[in-house]
Amino acid sequence: MPTITVDGRRLEVPEGSTLLQALDELGLLMNGVDVPHYCWHPKLSVDGSCRLCQVEIEGVPKLQIACDTPVADGMVVHTTSERVQRAREGVMELLLVNHPLDCPICDQAGECKLQDYAVDYGLDHARTREPRRPGRKRVELGPTIVFDEERCILCRRCVRFCREVPETGELVVENRGDRSRITTFPGTPLDNPYSMNVADVCPVGALTTRDFRFKVRVWDLDEVPGLCTGCSKGCNVHVGVARGAVQRYTPRRNDQVNETWICDEGRLSYREIGAPDRITRPAVRDAEGRMQPVSIARAIERAAERIRAAVLREGPAVVAALASPHATNEDLTELRRLLDGIGTATSGAAVVEGEPDGLLLQAERAGNARGARDLGFGDPGLVFEKIRGGGVRVLLVMGRDLLAEPFLGGTDPLASLDAVILLDTHRSALEQVADVVIPGRMLAEKGGSMTNHAGLVQRVPAALEPAFDAHAEGAVLARLRAALELVLPARSEGAA
Amino acid sequence: MGQTAPHVCGYLTERFSDDAFGSFAGYREAGGYETARHALNRMTPEEVIAVVKSSGLQGRGGASFPAGLKWSFMPTDDEGPSYLVCNADESEPGSFKDRLLMERGPHQLLEGLLIAAWAVGAETTFLYVRGEYAEAASVLARAIGEARAKGVLGPRALGSDFGHDVVLVRGAGAYICGEETGLLESLEGKKGQPRRKPPYPAQRGAFGRPTTVNNVETFCHVPHILKNGADWFRGIGTEQSPGTLLFGVSGHVVRPGLYELPLGTRLDEILFEYAGGVPGGRRVKGVIPGGISTPILPAGLLDVRMANEFLRERHTLLGTGGIMVMDETTCMVRVGCIASGFFRDESCGQCTQCREGTGWLDQLLHRLERGDGSDGDLALLGDVADKMEGGTICSFADAAAWPVQGLLRHFGDEFAGHVSARGCPLDQSFAL
Repeated sequence: MPTITVDGRRLEVPEGSTLLQALDELGLLMNGVDVPHYCWHPKLSVDGSCRLCQVEIEGVPKLQIACDTPVADGMVVHTTSERVQRAREGVMELLLVNHPLDCPICDQAGECKLQDYAVDYGLDHARTREPRRPGRKRVELGPTIVFDEERCILCRRCVRFCREVPETGELVVENRGDRSRITTFPGTPLDNPYSMNVADVCPVGALTTRDFRFKVRVWDLDEVPGLCTGCSKGCNVHVGVARGAVQRYTPRRNDQVNETWICDEGRLSYREIGAPDRITRPAVRDAEGRMQPVSIARAIERAAERIRAAVLREGPAVVAALASPHATNEDLTELRRLLDGIGTATSGAAVVEGEPDGLLLQAERAGNARGARDLGFGDPGLVFEKIRGGGVRVLLVMGRDLLAEPFLGGTDPLASLDAVILLDTHRSALEQVADVVIPGRMLAEKGGSMTNHAGLVQRVPAALEPAFDAHAEGAVLARLRAALELVLPARSEGAA
Repeated sequence: MGQTAPHVCGYLTERFSDDAFGSFAGYREAGGYETARHALNRMTPEEVIAVVKSSGLQGRGGASFPAGLKWSFMPTDDEGPSYLVCNADESEPGSFKDRLLMERGPHQLLEGLLIAAWAVGAETTFLYVRGEYAEAASVLARAIGEARAKGVLGPRALGSDFGHDVVLVRGAGAYICGEETGLLESLEGKKGQPRRKPPYPAQRGAFGRPTTVNNVETFCHVPHILKNGADWFRGIGTEQSPGTLLFGVSGHVVRPGLYELPLGTRLDEILFEYAGGVPGGRRVKGVIPGGISTPILPAGLLDVRMANEFLRERHTLLGTGGIMVMDETTCMVRVGCIASGFFRDESCGQCTQCREGTGWLDQLLHRLERGDGSDGDLALLGDVADKMEGGTICSFADAAAWPVQGLLRHFGDEFAGHVSARGCPLDQSFAL
């Protein structure tokens, strides 16, 4: 590996990389070695046009752009010399000649690279008296993205993204010189399953998502690491929380998983957390068959009663469970402990499948399908068979995926059971047949780990507390086990 | 153009007054294509390159890069096709030499191309002609047709084992497509935007293949060098800048036109003796020596030899040899406006300094011209020009900055006068 010296620091760098790539791979870029840049993006091709990343290399007369300069053994690089600072100042000044400086009303303010670098590397005053170039405002490039031409600095990351990642190529630069502008190819609106990533790669407030625009100022957001649970890819996200609610997901870089991207469907899946159809309070069915809200303690007690009665009457094998592939490994471990305690092995997990897209979206549309399988919750077919054959009296259900085809297709097969104990986050037809309903939590509300399709276990913290009486499934199951342990002879005799 | 012959001729242009020279038969009559026949049949590519190298021929497209050296960059161990590109996108304001070379001597150019193609091992030459040059394109199309019909081009060019063809491509009217990698992008059907270098065209040029790009005039010298030898060529011009150059003289002169003269001829000699000086008894005020992007020289500095080694001492360059003469009635701020308007319009818009700088310079200069300038504007103008220089993908930003720097260097007082007089202090009754 070549060794280079950057600002007096000796670094071993990957062969064949550019200076920026090398600094990025060492985790030093803008994190110890500051080489500001606009057009360069770690996951897109080199453009070399913004000219901000110029550095001084000993023995080379002109400043060189770090994004397009290959490392060479013995190279000595200066990123903070006066020449470099002057060059950056020049580029920053020129970038601002036509910028509207409308930060107070710009959605990007607070997470804007133009703002940040203007403060860090720019002049503290404007020297231009010329009128600023007018541009189109509020241009809907497609169903998801709104464009403000005046704010655009023409780094062309969005153009390269569309060409190189979804390979749809909707965006182009039209015209030339200072009349250059980003637009869509005629007749081709920006509309692809990854379109909203252009708002992330845009370093300024030119491209914003219709979803997040004007919703909240970014400095009011708590950004907590999280995972998208829409499919088994396990894309890393920042969960943006404000006013007690999740306001957005943005992709969090993880080169092993999602690089810097997320699909639009996954990005918008944060909406499920604050959806109006959340189950918000525990309930049990009364003697007249009506659901009555109860405390979580009472709901767990009722569940324990149902299980206990069935086991005492017909043995532990009549208890079965359908695990949720959306639950965390911690939740599912508690479920496994409970089932072991009861002494039943009848369990599985229903995982809904769709078409994979070859990029991020996986066939299995559940964040922890692999984790569920690894914990022994596999094909649910046997459970369904046993239900249909009358061999199940009490069914513990986590999640509503079993309602989908090709699984149960509806609640009818469950009508004849003694009891359905439902732990779920969102309302569904399962409530019609449930004896006990306990509201669960989404990953962002409880934290925990999930295992992605490739076997990578990823743990994230809780990002927010739900505003209603919802409970982490693992905690509920632990309490249920505690309630049962006192009375189950099977457990104390160890006959699992 | 057609009938207008240059006023002074050298080996490139001496037969241009003869209409027959433009036809295949006329060119053969004058001994044409014999040098190429000899090169293709009797010389190795290495021998051809060696002669061109030792001749010291420099590119005539503006950058004066040694042609033989450029040719030697082509890989010799490459398996696939490689290309030669003739840059006929002549669009530097003040430059009009290639047009004549194409219109009056198309076969001379084709012979140069064929020899160069043999030297660099190119299977095809793309002749990229400026879109506005309709006449040149049609003359060349006819000449290429004749050359194909006569076996000059084709699978066995001039009876050799070398197969070669020339493909005529017409540009769509962009100055930046004269920059060699901007040209290559355009040639490939893309928007004309210069490429980052490296890779240089010799490594990855047209369609990703090794490519050599030279200017029309550069190729036209080649048959003469091969025919007469490197020493003959070195005997013309200066030690560092051999050969002749087609100087295009325009502006306030009695006899505007093209003058084929040895490099190193004095600028004042070209201006006063060949071009007849300034008409109407007026005095010369400034001269742009090599096309709009080369810094201007004031009247007192015209005693300079037209070759880079001398022009550099006066902070300017030979460029394409397009000499633009301005007399005492010329407003230098207006000259700046015209130049900056051109560069603002033609910038491809990739690099920050160029895209934003050309627009800013243009606005500043126009403000000064209107009389809305302030004292700080001159320093600002110079500073913006300095910030544009040297930091971009291609040299367009430099080309836009240099004329402004030159004007400020030599005519700073006149710029300041526009501020204090709140407008142009000169008599503007003439038409520029």
